[in-house]
Amino acid sequence: VKEGFAARSKVAIVGYSHSPVVKSFGRPLGAVAVEVARDAIADAGLRPQDVDGFCASALLPTSGDHASVDGVTMVTPNWLAAQLGVNPRYATGFQGYGQLPGSVALAVNALVSGAADYVLVHRALHNPVGKSYNASGRLDARGDLQWTMPQGFFGPLPMIGMLANEYCQRHGATREDLGAIVVEARKNGARLPWSVWHDRPIDLDDYLAAPLISDPVCRLDCDMPVDGVACFVLTTAERAGDLPNKPVYVAAYAGGAPTRHRLPLHWPLDDVYEVGAETARRLWSRAGIGPGDVDLPQLYDGFSPFVWLWLEVLGFCPVGEAHRFVSGGGIDSDVPGALPALSGGGALGNGRMHGVPQMLECYRQLAGRAGARQRDASVAVACHASPHLGGAVVYATEPI
Amino acid sequence: VTDRPVPVPDDTSGPFWQAADEGRLAVAHCSVCHHAIHPPAPVCPACGATEPAYVFRAVSGRGVVRSWTVLRQAFLPGFADDLPVVLVDVALEGTDDLRLIGRLMYAPADGLRLGAAVEVAFEHLDDGSAIPAFALAPEGEAAT
Repeated sequence: VKEGFAARSKVAIVGYSHSPVVKSFGRPLGAVAVEVARDAIADAGLRPQDVDGFCASALLPTSGDHASVDGVTMVTPNWLAAQLGVNPRYATGFQGYGQLPGSVALAVNALVSGAADYVLVHRALHNPVGKSYNASGRLDARGDLQWTMPQGFFGPLPMIGMLANEYCQRHGATREDLGAIVVEARKNGARLPWSVWHDRPIDLDDYLAAPLISDPVCRLDCDMPVDGVACFVLTTAERAGDLPNKPVYVAAYAGGAPTRHRLPLHWPLDDVYEVGAETARRLWSRAGIGPGDVDLPQLYDGFSPFVWLWLEVLGFCPVGEAHRFVSGGGIDSDVPGALPALSGGGALGNGRMHGVPQMLECYRQLAGRAGARQRDASVAVACHASPHLGGAVVYATEPI
Repeated sequence: VTDRPVPVPDDTSGPFWQAADEGRLAVAHCSVCHHAIHPPAPVCPACGATEPAYVFRAVSGRGVVRSWTVLRQAFLPGFADDLPVVLVDVALEGTDDLRLIGRLMYAPADGLRLGAAVEVAFEHLDDGSAIPAFALAPEGEAAT
């Protein structure tokens, strides 16, 4: 089924900035966000008063008992606009998973409709103080949690362990196959001066020595919680031509949501495949291209098994084959002709920046701003979250 | 088992937990379309009824393992001494892929396989509440 998509290649990224990715800034997240926002706006050749749209998700990603304070542990679009002295024509937050593709989609819609002329998309991530990031001391399992918390099925680790094990058992994948993903992400992340893992690659022995948390998922399958901020400036394709940087066009975006009623955080493999296939269909239909046209896929890896799932649902390899594809060198960023699916280091190689590492690598490479790591690429895809509730964006050097 | 999170029943879920305390697995059924729904939701996920008026009916408690994981780190109070904890994702027989997640009792994860037959069991907490869990079914009683 062909979908009409009036926004195809009508919007471009025209500037960006990001902070270092660190364990803790040691100061309020919002202060860093304001600095990064000002820098990104200047990078785009604009002044803060030119920016009239603000789109973002402010979610503080933790299942533990942490307070959310705007400007301190999270940053909303309205808060950021206010600090920049802007009364925005359009400011809105994305509520779902896949926060970065979702925010880009809001920005594209605002720009194509004329609700805004220049939109700042930001993501500010915070690592709460203390070691027990995902832990809770609660003894009352209320609401949705009554169905899973008394059993000990709580937070993202059992969630991803259950999904990863279903994949491994069904398709014959092993811990070594998971390790191949993590080693590739950390290799690329070690090359990034801003990364929390800069100069810290690992090998498969390091991976296999890491403690299991929720089988088959071990500590190194999980991205490191961090403080970090990234901002991107988007405008219409027409306006982009008047600005200093080479535009990177948003060819299409797509997302989806689970269709089956499940327990909280229960993600059966078939649910992921089924909804993920529809997200992929929407994405390729709206972009007018297919997986064979993509030379820079950047697949989400907040937990390593997501890389297998995105490879399969987007059609980069057959269902059930991704673990063999990766372990066989299929995504090695140093092998000519391979799919460099984690060349930007991903979340495992940068820190828990949600979809930022994927979007950042797509932008920097397609804009010709990747420095010593510059690759020859013209069509890229940035993914975020699980294929059955997250999203993806196709970027291109020229309008498709 | 001390100081573990205990379920706090809401306006809908009381009969589920009451049945568990009595050693029975009783699942919500929409009174409009009669589908088994878990967890019960404000609008019936099967038929869209906005007044599903759930009726909790006992089910066999038999099912098959669709996946499992082994918890080796406790994120909640009261689990540390029990580690490793095996959690199984079970599709209940006679339903449209209705899933429950619970602890696998009396057995390690070694040798577990997709499709293994299980039957409901119960964990008993110190406060008297019972939490649905599962145990491997005797050989030859494979469900669905």
